[in-house]
Amino acid sequence: MVSSKKVVLLGHFGVGKSSIIRKFVNNEFSSDYKVSIGVHILKKEVQLSNNDSVSIIIWDMEGTDSLTLINKVYLLGTHSFIYVYDVTRPLTFKSLSQDIISLKTRFPTSLIKTVGNKVDLLTDIEKEKHQVLFKINDYLSSAKTGENIEQLFQDIAIELKH
Amino acid sequence: MRKDKKLILLKELLLTDDRALIGALNLKINTLESIIEQREKLSQKVDPLIDLKLQEYTNDIPKKLGPMITESLKNEILKSKNQVVDALYPIIGKMIKKYIQQEFKILSDKINHQLKKRFSIASFLRLFKSKFMGVDEESLMLQELAKTAIQEIFIIEKKSGLLKANFSKTTTIDKEVISAMLTAIKSFVEEAFITGEEHLEAIEYGLYNIHIQNFESYYIAVVIHGVYDTIYKSKLKSKLLDFSANNISNTTNTNLAEKLAEVFKNGII
Ligand SMILES: Nc1nc2c(ncn2[C@@H]2O[C@H](COP(=O)(O)OP(=O)(O)OP(=O)(O)O)[C@@H](O)[C@H]2O)c(=O)[nH]1
Ligand SMILES: [Mg+2]
Repeated sequence: MVSSKKVVLLGHFGVGKSSIIRKFVNNEFSSDYKVSIGVHILKKEVQLSNNDSVSIIIWDMEGTDSLTLINKVYLLGTHSFIYVYDVTRPLTFKSLSQDIISLKTRFPTSLIKTVGNKVDLLTDIEKEKHQVLFKINDYLSSAKTGENIEQLFQDIAIELKH
Repeated sequence: MRKDKKLILLKELLLTDDRALIGALNLKINTLESIIEQREKLSQKVDPLIDLKLQEYTNDIPKKLGPMITESLKNEILKSKNQVVDALYPIIGKMIKKYIQQEFKILSDKINHQLKKRFSIASFLRLFKSKFMGVDEESLMLQELAKTAIQEIFIIEKKSGLLKANFSKTTTIDKEVISAMLTAIKSFVEEAFITGEEHLEAIEYGLYNIHIQNFESYYIAVVIHGVYDTIYKSKLKSKLLDFSANNISNTTNTNLAEKLAEVFKNGII
């Protein structure tokens, strides 16, 4: 049986939200940057087993400097948030822990995932350092190489199903 | 002429010219200087006078020239009515168009109302037609009413924008994405432009109208092709209310889509 879930991607400008979705939905990547305006909606079905799948309705939000700037009605009824930041730009994860706390209090029943993107731009040493800095439940991903993209949505689908 | 004599002559010529030129220039400069001096002297005296006059004149313009301008404008307009009309036409045209559209809407609502009243006559005519042409009455009726038809019905969860059920005449578009988009648009409009308890009631989209009706935790969006007037609207509203009361309110109805298809099967209400 197919069930549908609402997944919202949040984060600063240019961290790679749209790129992550594009990689996941169409398996494509492009290095040119088209700023998202408003909200863009896409869908992909994730197969869990032979007769079990989750239809993920993905809301790709425009980048913001602050969560408070997002029209709150867009966030209602979200099953899972994906908070994306750019591992090469500290500004984009400066308010990460605060933002996560605020999301948890506002949407206590929603699943929240944090994703450090553009990990392909880090050296192995830098990557290790970064991993120490952030907790284990975070994903380090790359929309360019596809690293952890499939995994991220697969995990979300499984968790939302149960 | 001898060579040195020639040279002297040339020198003389050149020097004379130079001198003459310098003299002329000096003269010119002197005259200019004196003109400027005079001007300055003059302007010190005259400028305040001019200023005063100018001030008086400006003050007097409305009094002195006003009636004249109005009069000549009147004459000009009278003389060239056509040009004036041409210039104003686009602006007035737009206003008139709006007005006419509005009037037309009222008129068409009225006519529809009349038609409804005179349904018996219409059905009599239809019967006559069907007998005469050998087509069954119902298909004639459908043909007549087919002007307004429901293309799609979405029952959508208000908050998440997830689709609960759908009735559709098409298969090409992705209903789930459309539902989420509709919800995003609705949320945006209601947040940005509508205050209090009001809600977005309809979206016009090309030849289609999207009727939006709110319920407690969900809303119903109906895509309509054709005339979407107040009469149709109220009919659709009560139909959806009925549908909701009979099928959605008892929570365990798993076959909402089937119900939708059953109730709205030919897209005509
Ligand atoms: N190297 C590298 N570049 C990336 C990656 N992901 C995105 N980019 C680039 O980063 C830029 C911004 O990507 P987007 O996906 O548009 O970012 P966004 O978060 O959607 O941006 P906004 O919609 O403006 O908030 C683009 O030039 C992408 O090509 C990645 O994993 N690695
Ligand atoms: Mg984007």
